Amino acid sequence: MVWGTIIAAYLFLAGLSAGAFLTSSYAARKYPDAKTVRVVGRLISPILMGIGLLLLIVDAEAGLKDPLRFIYLFTNFSSVMTIGTYFISFFMMAAAYIALMELLKKDTNKIVEYVGIVFAVATAIYTGFLIGVIGAVPLWNTAILPILFVVSAFSTGIAGTMLVSALLDKKVVHHVMSLKKIHLTLLVAEVFLIFTMFLITSSTNESAAQSVSMLLTGEYSALFWFGLIVAGLILPITIEALELWNSKKLHQTPAGLEVAASGSHGIAATLITESAVLAGGFILRYLLLAAAVPVIFL
Amino acid sequence: MARYGMVIDTRKCVGCYACRVSCQMQNELPVEESYIKFYEKETGVFPNVKNEIIPVQCQHCEDAPCVSVCPTKATYTTDEGIVLVDADKCIGCKYCMVACHYGARTQDHNTGVVEKCRFCAELVAEGKQPACVSTCISNARIFGDLDDPNSEVSKAIVKMNAQPLRPDLGKAKIYYVR
Repeated sequence: MVWGTIIAAYLFLAGLSAGAFLTSSYAARKYPDAKTVRVVGRLISPILMGIGLLLLIVDAEAGLKDPLRFIYLFTNFSSVMTIGTYFISFFMMAAAYIALMELLKKDTNKIVEYVGIVFAVATAIYTGFLIGVIGAVPLWNTAILPILFVVSAFSTGIAGTMLVSALLDKKVVHHVMSLKKIHLTLLVAEVFLIFTMFLITSSTNESAAQSVSMLLTGEYSALFWFGLIVAGLILPITIEALELWNSKKLHQTPAGLEVAASGSHGIAATLITESAVLAGGFILRYLLLAAAVPVIFL
Repeated sequence: MARYGMVIDTRKCVGCYACRVSCQMQNELPVEESYIKFYEKETGVFPNVKNEIIPVQCQHCEDAPCVSVCPTKATYTTDEGIVLVDADKCIGCKYCMVACHYGARTQDHNTGVVEKCRFCAELVAEGKQPACVSTCISNARIFGDLDDPNSEVSKAIVKMNAQPLRPDLGKAKIYYVR
């Protein structure tokens, strides 16, 4: 494993940060009164990206010992990592500015926010392209992997934002039902993308087939099935679907509407769901790095 | 301008590791680090079997993925086709190690810089042969200019129908006789 846990954590945090930024931008427009969600998303986004970048710097040992070398990161435009460095720089600047404005309780510049949205999406996609372009690892070298990473980034972004929001404001999580619907859709899409990727890639290449069998039945099967599929996807899908179904039923009667509006449900379901999604997001990236079987050259 | 390449005749290789040791000495590597790795490949079914010993190092690909992925341009190709690492620019991100098809790169445990076979560029500049070539006890390695049709290496490639390990993976400049 050339790239291990640290890089998995970085890929996870970069996606989470981009997703949280998009969640806050969505909440700011769709639910102007759900202030907590907006503020939380805007604040955690640059903080999480910052932690991710620190991890990256620690992993890049030669740069850590001579930090001026990091300037060269901006020089090779044929490298996805250089392109990503630009994306993250622009995203970080926009996210930090918007977090600062939120702290100062000032209005944000709309153009900076749009720039932030564009580069948040770009950052999420880049984490997939970074390993997706590596022909030496057939498991990663698929067109579906960057899409999977983007879906997972948005999904973990919603989860991270909702988790912190629920802890700060118990009522707010029951107001943002459309966000929950989006989240459910993303989680279902993730299951579909993971198995599509595995099926197709293992039928094209021997190394990829080895990677897939390591995940499905081999060394990493326990973590894959229990950690990612059951805990990270099926559990949140079930709870989220039940919650949406309940809320739909509540909204059918006037009395139920009152209960829904009072937001008197607990936050236990939200805490479990969102923590599970976050754990799943990290496990997904960890497993894909761990199960990287290189091409056979002999 | 020369375009350097190599032939490795695995039929002549006895697996004595002399090339690896001389490489380690030339590059002042500790015992546990090495730019040449040895692989064995068995083919056939007993009693008709063949065991090949295949020394693998940087293949100095003309379309090297390590050069294109290196974000700092620390890895570059010289005019003579040798892929080198500028140790002062490398940040140790290991993207090149992930991208290399041949697992030919290793990270220096002290500096964190990623290094690999350099075709002994400083010896070649003096008109000498790389250390692994001059030390090989069975003359399994031939080094020279691929652009010169009369060079020993060019003739050997044609005569013995030497091929890169995986021609479909890129334009490698080490040709193997197997």
